[in-house]
Amino acid sequence: MHIPDGYLDLSIAALFFVLTLLVLGYSIYRLRGERLTSLFGVLSAAIFAAQMLNWPIPGGTSAHFVGGALAGILLGPYAGSLAMAIVLTIQTLVFNDGGITAWGANVWNMAIVNVFLGYYIYRTFSRYNKNFAAFLAGWLGITAAAIFAGIEIGLSTSFAYGLSVTVPVMGVWHALLGVIEGIITAGVVGYIATRRADLLEKKEVGKTSFALIAALIALSPVFAYLAEEVGYAEPLEKAAEMIGLEEEPIYEGLFPDYTISGLDPYTGTLLSGLLGVLIVLALAYAVKYARGSRKDT
Amino acid sequence: MHVVLEKTLKNASSYFQNFFIHEYSSKSTLHSIDARIKLLGTFLFVILAVSTFEPKKLLFLLLSLILISAILGLSLKNMIRRVWLFPLFSFAVVSPLLLQDIGYPLLFTLRVLIAVIAVQMLVMSTSFADICSALRSLKVPEVFVHGLWLAYRYILVVFQDIINILLARESRRVARGSHLELWRKGGEAVGLFFLRSIERAERVQLAIASRGERIIGSKLQFGTLEAIYISLSAFVALWCIAL
Repeated sequence: MHIPDGYLDLSIAALFFVLTLLVLGYSIYRLRGERLTSLFGVLSAAIFAAQMLNWPIPGGTSAHFVGGALAGILLGPYAGSLAMAIVLTIQTLVFNDGGITAWGANVWNMAIVNVFLGYYIYRTFSRYNKNFAAFLAGWLGITAAAIFAGIEIGLSTSFAYGLSVTVPVMGVWHALLGVIEGIITAGVVGYIATRRADLLEKKEVGKTSFALIAALIALSPVFAYLAEEVGYAEPLEKAAEMIGLEEEPIYEGLFPDYTISGLDPYTGTLLSGLLGVLIVLALAYAVKYARGSRKDT
Repeated sequence: MHVVLEKTLKNASSYFQNFFIHEYSSKSTLHSIDARIKLLGTFLFVILAVSTFEPKKLLFLLLSLILISAILGLSLKNMIRRVWLFPLFSFAVVSPLLLQDIGYPLLFTLRVLIAVIAVQMLVMSTSFADICSALRSLKVPEVFVHGLWLAYRYILVVFQDIINILLARESRRVARGSHLELWRKGGEAVGLFFLRSIERAERVQLAIASRGERIIGSKLQFGTLEAIYISLSAFVALWCIAL
């Protein structure tokens, strides 16, 4: 479910960065004053380790646990979303599991949608049966996260498949695999309920905050659609236009419009590309030799 | 449960192999550059890669990143070993479109490849401690960065915990059990694991309180090396935009 770099349009990636930072920022604000460093650290590591368990499923294949709903149930949605965001950040920065530009969307899906939805489903149904509530939270949380991922890549023009392909593929597949997520979440919650029921006590969330975050989650596909409508998939080129780089090429004298007079445009572009590579080469060697001035070498 | 254990250990060994490679790879020129500059440079290169489908720009970017990596001392062989899977997977995803448009799947894959190489340049040349220092220096909230660093350090410790729990339960198991039984019992094992992790977190918090909250040391520096690397990154970006 981790979206790599290159699958999302930058407009959509930027939108989910903003939405994610808003919710994570608010979560940090809500948790201010609490000494939670070790809780985040150790429990994020625990979620990471639990994600490595490969659960066999009939047919010879296997699925792995994600743990978003469980993080919400155990830590509350604010701390849970931060713990999941930590896991996803490590996966991005160490294992390349999920792209840097897609970090916002990945955290939104798996650390915000999954955690908050899982938490509220659990809270709604736990008064009837804790195990069933945990199962629903795990199952629906992961399915919703997958559907959101499908919407994000389906709306992106960079990815050739549209919503009609991406949403069913992501949604149906994860709805099936999500059953295992639900069963394991129920198993974990059932065990903790018998040993340390205090950990499952209701966490304070706040009705207004809940309504706002729920609204953000519900409206995020609409925002994504609108961001796509704005249509700035190539912002750096727009920036180039704005600062006049295209109208006034830097090397106008040598390569007007990155072509060479007398040569066909393809050869001209090829030569200007090669010149660029030569300059990169020279600058890279300059970096290499500048290292000599560093004492730690 | 033995299937879970077997598959998990197999999966984890390849994962953790990756985990250590970047920490112990030989020191290159890129290692000496301030992590903040490398982090921002990585963002820049990835954004450049994913914001265009123009072959000339993508090829220029790919060639530039490969040259920079090679000249600044990263092992291209190691890099290929670490990146090949991601573009291959992406190509497999879009390959059904080859019949309609041969260019799109290739360019799409190229974008993914360049983005992954850019991230690998950071990962292979920067310790996670330095990445955390850089994030802190770039004003990412302390609670998040400290959590990140602690999580990274504890992954192997808690992974050993969960394997011990599964092994203990496996050694006591008598009946074979169905898939449903395995998931349910496995859920209980994971429940025990989370309880132990919470207790560990409480002990760690006490240790942190007794030692003081400062978790991440800072080794950041800015000099000629960084200035030239910034010029290099800026040149690649400008040339790529204007090409």
